[in-house]
Amino acid sequence: MIALAGAIQIIGGLALAPLLSGTVQALKARLQGRRGPSPLQPYRELRRLWGKTIADPQPTTVVYRLAPCIVAAATILALFLVPIAGLSPDWPLGNDAIVLVGLLALARFALAAASWDTGSGFALMGSSRDLTLSVFAEALLVLALILAVLPAASTDLVAMSAAASGSAIWAEPAHWCAAVAFALVVLVETGRQPIDNPDTHLELTMIHEGPLLEYAGRDLALLEWSAAARHWIFLVVAAELYLPHWGGFGAQLACLVTGVAVLCAALALTETAQAKMRILHAPALLASGCLLALVGLVSGLVG
Amino acid sequence: MSGVELLVLLGLALLTAGTLAPVARGGLTTAIALQAVGIALLGVGGALILLGAPAVGATFRSGLDPGLGIDGLTGFFLATLAVVAAPATIYARGYLAGVARSRALVTLGGLFLIALAGLLMARDPSTFLACWELMTFVPAAAILVRRGDAGVRHAVFVYLAVTHLGGAGVWICVLALAHYGAIGDPGALAAQGAAVQALVIVAAIVGFGTKAGLMPLHSWLPRAHPVAPSHVSALMSGVMVKAALYGLVRVLFEWAGPAPLWSGLVVLAIGLLSAFGGVLYALFQRDLKRLLAFSTIENVGIVALGLGTSILFASTGDETWAAIAFAAALLHILNHAVFKALLFFAAGAFERALGSLELDRIGGLLRRMPWTGGAFLVGSMAIAGVPPLNGFASEWLILQALIHVAFGPSLGLGLAGALAAAGLAATAALAVFCFVKVVGLVLLGVPRRAEAEAAVEAPPSMRGAPVFLAGCCIALGAVPGLLVPSLMELAPQPHALVTKPGLSIPGTGSLPSPWLLLGLLVLTGLLWRLRGSRRAAPVPAWACGQPIERSLGWSSAGFTKPLRLVLEAVLRPRREIEAVHERGQLQSIRYRGEIPHLFDTLLYGPVQRGALAGALVARRLQSGSVRIYAAYLLALLLGLLVLVRIGAIG
Repeated sequence: MIALAGAIQIIGGLALAPLLSGTVQALKARLQGRRGPSPLQPYRELRRLWGKTIADPQPTTVVYRLAPCIVAAATILALFLVPIAGLSPDWPLGNDAIVLVGLLALARFALAAASWDTGSGFALMGSSRDLTLSVFAEALLVLALILAVLPAASTDLVAMSAAASGSAIWAEPAHWCAAVAFALVVLVETGRQPIDNPDTHLELTMIHEGPLLEYAGRDLALLEWSAAARHWIFLVVAAELYLPHWGGFGAQLACLVTGVAVLCAALALTETAQAKMRILHAPALLASGCLLALVGLVSGLVG
Repeated sequence: MSGVELLVLLGLALLTAGTLAPVARGGLTTAIALQAVGIALLGVGGALILLGAPAVGATFRSGLDPGLGIDGLTGFFLATLAVVAAPATIYARGYLAGVARSRALVTLGGLFLIALAGLLMARDPSTFLACWELMTFVPAAAILVRRGDAGVRHAVFVYLAVTHLGGAGVWICVLALAHYGAIGDPGALAAQGAAVQALVIVAAIVGFGTKAGLMPLHSWLPRAHPVAPSHVSALMSGVMVKAALYGLVRVLFEWAGPAPLWSGLVVLAIGLLSAFGGVLYALFQRDLKRLLAFSTIENVGIVALGLGTSILFASTGDETWAAIAFAAALLHILNHAVFKALLFFAAGAFERALGSLELDRIGGLLRRMPWTGGAFLVGSMAIAGVPPLNGFASEWLILQALIHVAFGPSLGLGLAGALAAAGLAATAALAVFCFVKVVGLVLLGVPRRAEAEAAVEAPPSMRGAPVFLAGCCIALGAVPGLLVPSLMELAPQPHALVTKPGLSIPGTGSLPSPWLLLGLLVLTGLLWRLRGSRRAAPVPAWACGQPIERSLGWSSAGFTKPLRLVLEAVLRPRREIEAVHERGQLQSIRYRGEIPHLFDTLLYGPVQRGALAGALVARRLQSGSVRIYAAYLLALLLGLLVLVRIGAIG
């Protein structure tokens, strides 16, 4: 059981992550009345990129060249922290939610430093926006996590997942607030509309694509994979902590798969229905998420 | 006499000899070596006592007979002092080479160390207050010896004025404690009732908080720290503000008896304001040293968050978490001392190579100064609080403590904890933003002016200090768990924790930092191998097809513009655009934008104007005529007699 959970954590995270973004793209195309690419398209792109040579823009230093490896390494470590169906083997890395946040911050630091190294205006524009949003997103993320910590009395993701299982928790208004707040976090962190548009390669509007602009070949493949894995991590955490799940390992695994599928569909739907919002309005949205989380906290503490 | 005692006495003797040597025309290298060895021995003695050796010297007393001694808490702060000061003195050898009046600066440096060590070791109120004043004056003297232009003199004046006005709080607090016999006797003040206790606590927060640079009494710090010589800046930012925190810890956690709940909330609120406000203003600074000074305010705020949390836990009866939060605050004190000193050392090396530290005009130093630049990169990552470095470990602990307040016993505390936790998370994100910007503008990209193009690596003595401290950043980040149990023993209600390299605290998912470091290194190495080194011919970065010129380079203001726009209501930036037209044609556009420091314009400005206006009124009383003064005396006498007559006094 626990070995299977461990296997899904790592192999699933490594191999299935690109499928998620592929599925969202395919679903979105269908909703928009196009045939669109197959859900396997991200794999084809990764294979293509893996065979290409690396670009070496001048003048860059080792910071630029190491960044993709550091980003991917931090993301792989983050995969070890996220339990699957409420279980995680005793990796020596623990399962702390705040460590997960820290690892993703390391990836963000590395990529933003690489943008400075190229000096490319588009890369810097992207990372400056990304970092601006992260100020609000991290506050919201911590508040949403506190709401999930409340029933578990621990920031251990395994304990938090166990405390969020069953149906009793859904009688708490706090949990509903937490789920909505975390949904906003997912939108920001995965770079989805209305915050960011993953389809655009128009330099002036993009956020997460910007810092990737100079990279090519295996560097780009590592970064594209990391973006997909980030997607995976946030959707799995959302399903494990904030979506209904119950029963033994088998039932929980089924809940997880359904939950992630529903989230993919929801992302595709929002992307179709929502236009990208002005970047300067996004913090207001996130701040309202913070307020909602605080309301949830009040109800959780009083109730 | 125990071995530790001998070590400490030898350290003090060497430090004194090193301070006096330049006065006696001894060699500067000898003097510096004596100082470095002396302070290192003191630090080793302190560390031994922290790790369990028995305390040495006198114990605390409220009387006036002088005494020095070292207990666990003093030992911790002495060790922190030594970790920064020993490299600082060695760094000073290279930094002061060829500088005018270096002899005086070396003596003042030694005197500063003696004042700091004396403050930490003082066991009676008179020694404490004497060292406190010395600690304030010596850096001011060092700044003035080095540079004496009008701007610097004004900065020193503000520094002395603000720290003395605020420092009155320290005198009130220490003298009140001595009066009630409460120094070294926790029960004595509690017996005096809540009002006296409140007076002492408020005086301590104002007095020590001013010197620590806590907002809103921080105004002197970003003025004074940047103008000092870099090794003195490192000591001021790394240790002097910590000495003030030492005083705050002594008062709040030992002498004032069990600190009440409200004081915890006050410290928490001030800490949150300082942490968020400090890093927010740091982000918009254009000068590297000024930016580092604002970031000191941020980190002192983070420490205050930990201390406030500890008080909250203690007053609600959760002794385990009170000890954890206390240890977290101390750990952050050490961590911040290490990386802030590192950054100031590196900034000093950059300043020597370039002449000025205007952020928008540096660039590309990592290639030209690989050692200093590499250490600066490590320090920036540590201060940004990313794993696996030391900043993350202590911020993780403090955030965990805040999260555990959030599901505390009452709604008010819960909300306070959640708000502070969210604020700390935003602060951490802002710190990443700020120090990515610094790294990018200073180390990466193309050199932005000729001096940066021609920069060469600093001499070995100036290179060693930052590299050593970068090693400390990595080591403290890898094994914080070896230190935290000893720090938890220092809490008022000590709590034992199993000593492990990582941090495994009940109620958390644990921070196995050695494994994180190892995992990151191994995975990065593996991926680096996988990635291969096959690469295409070098190409320029993409700028829509045009060649990248210096004028296309991003500035500090450009990078932070989205945040400035988002926070416009809070920051109230000023901007002026002036278009020059001539014969109906646009000739040139001049743009000026700045982020005013709102504390200066809204708080200090009015206070200063009020004080000056008051002084004008008061000056009318000073006519210079003896008869008028005699009339004042007569009026005073009569007034007092009237008061005695009606029974108001006497």
